[in-house]
Amino acid sequence: MQLKNPQCGPGLRAGLIAASCALLSPATRAQALPEPEAGNQVDAGLLYYQEDKGRVRSVDAIVKLSRDFGDERALSITAAVDSLSGGSPIGAIASRSVQTFVSPSARSWNPGGGGDDDDEGRPYQVAPGNQPLVQDFHDLRGALDVNWSQPLGVGNKLAAGAHFSYEYDFLSASVNSALSRDFFSKNTTVGLGVSAEFDQIKAVGGTPVPGSDYSQLAKTRGNETKQVYGAQLGLTQVLARNWITQLNLSVDKGSGYLNDPYKILSRVDASGALLGYQFESRPDNHARRSVYLGNKVAFGRSVLDVSLRLGNDDWGIDSQTVEARYRFPLGARTYLEPQLRWYRQGAADFYRLYLTGSDPSDSHMSADPRLGAFTAKTVGLKLGVGLSGGSEIGVRLSGYEQTPKVRSSTLAGLEGLDLNPRLRAAMLQVDWRFAY
Amino acid sequence: MRKAARTALWAILCTWMAGWASGVLAAQPAGTAGQLDLAAYRGKVVYVDFWASWCGPCRQSFPWMNSMHRQYGRDGLVILAVNLDQVRADADGFLKKYPAEFAIHFDPAGQLAQSFKVRGMPTSVLLDRDGKTLLVHEGFRSKDPPELEASIRKALH
Amino acid sequence: MTKTLLKAAVALAMAALAGCSSLGIKPWERDILARPEMALDAAPVDNAFDEHIYFSREAAGGGKGFGGGGCGCN
Repeated sequence: MQLKNPQCGPGLRAGLIAASCALLSPATRAQALPEPEAGNQVDAGLLYYQEDKGRVRSVDAIVKLSRDFGDERALSITAAVDSLSGGSPIGAIASRSVQTFVSPSARSWNPGGGGDDDDEGRPYQVAPGNQPLVQDFHDLRGALDVNWSQPLGVGNKLAAGAHFSYEYDFLSASVNSALSRDFFSKNTTVGLGVSAEFDQIKAVGGTPVPGSDYSQLAKTRGNETKQVYGAQLGLTQVLARNWITQLNLSVDKGSGYLNDPYKILSRVDASGALLGYQFESRPDNHARRSVYLGNKVAFGRSVLDVSLRLGNDDWGIDSQTVEARYRFPLGARTYLEPQLRWYRQGAADFYRLYLTGSDPSDSHMSADPRLGAFTAKTVGLKLGVGLSGGSEIGVRLSGYEQTPKVRSSTLAGLEGLDLNPRLRAAMLQVDWRFAY
Repeated sequence: MRKAARTALWAILCTWMAGWASGVLAAQPAGTAGQLDLAAYRGKVVYVDFWASWCGPCRQSFPWMNSMHRQYGRDGLVILAVNLDQVRADADGFLKKYPAEFAIHFDPAGQLAQSFKVRGMPTSVLLDRDGKTLLVHEGFRSKDPPELEASIRKALH
Repeated sequence: MTKTLLKAAVALAMAALAGCSSLGIKPWERDILARPEMALDAAPVDNAFDEHIYFSREAAGGGKGFGGGGCGCN
């Protein structure tokens, strides 16, 4: 679901997660009977994601091959394909009158034009009261992850991986590596991981000058780039026969082109009347930190997974995440797993729902809902059925709801308008694990 | 943010304290497992292997131990596989899939493992004909059989 | 987190590590941890899709990772 958003390069997070997952690849983990001897398996999944109000809809497919080469050496290869349609918020707010925008490919402003000229893009109109969306018309993304893990010397494990993803306007490549060591009869594991990511953003229609007037469509042709470097320190500790906990400290630093080239902000006067639009402008540096505490506790044959994550960054965004899953058996081979997640984030310092006369044109600003203050809840239920030989199929249904903190304005011209609608999405996932 | 960070530190602290407390308070299972009298094996070379049904490498070690038993049993090698499953049914399930031609001793309370100071799973201990410990080997990897067999042959002669 | 808090978190982690020698279980008591559902990465497809969705819709991301747990064999 890249949604033409250059901030969506998942390389870094995928990188660190990939390296860490490699350290606990199925090949190195003992399997309870009646599973096959070698730690080889295929994990595949299909996800159908649908937002409300004609926003994004996507179908994602993922396949992960894990192979054990003996003596704790393991390789995993993951391939993912996403197909998107629909639109995401352009950043402009709803208005009492009809609004006209042009598609991202436009290089000149001619809202009355028929859109025959490629440079003019395709103008489209947004009805009064509706949240303006960017129309997505290219819809395919592919990604590939490769990870290798092996022992290093005595008692250490080394993992290394690479990630590559491609969509028509965004390219991402990253590498990652992690080293871990066990202590105290393997009750404690300490690990350190690093990763480096390089992204290239080729915005459709060119890159707009940040903060410039939307109707001018001042765009430069050419590619933008961004780099992200990250590090993670992890501590895993067995607390009891049925309880394992994990503590991770992560930092990352991004620099380069961090804007979303398709996002704008509305500018209104003191009474709320629309004056125009501006392209967003974000800083060219972004440093983030997070602390993650996860737990897995077994109660009989049930498992409770509870985690907490706190994060903040130098854009002023604070976040808290609490997640819980409880898996309990329904029979010898079947299980049910309800899932709950609560997430809250504060707004970036330069986040604005809209600009007023007093907001200078030359400072950082963005109306991207992803940078705003909101609370999000997820409720889900998964059903898993074990098949012979350690294979399993599963079905998961979940709902996600994001409620922004600021949704309206007291300005006369904007009264009664929902300027920041709730986001609701439903997800249906089918997955299959085949062990051989 | 300070408040949230404080919450995080408290959550971490509480998790660890709870884990430590539960470990301290956990009662040791009552020792009913028979004590093993190794004196009965004097004069024989004893290969003690600590295993459990949930231990992956044990699936490789069992066929190998069977072949050792067949080859060197008449020369005086005794293989003694000590099972550490807490649920007997799990051990029986494993033995159905990987039958053993050698002796199995059940130690669900882990007393024998404790006295042998087992530090990892699986662990094998080789005792010579006088009951002296010749080697303690942790784990079972594909490169281990030749080395272990060499040690067994040396102990037998 | 402020620098102070970050230092405190690292110090806590190190203290925990130092105190870890008394925490934990015997190597032969890992039967429950050896179960696939007790692995830290027990549901890779679920996690991959979740990370993907939350990454696309929220500002925070990642944070999980690393090995440990399991049967502890070899």
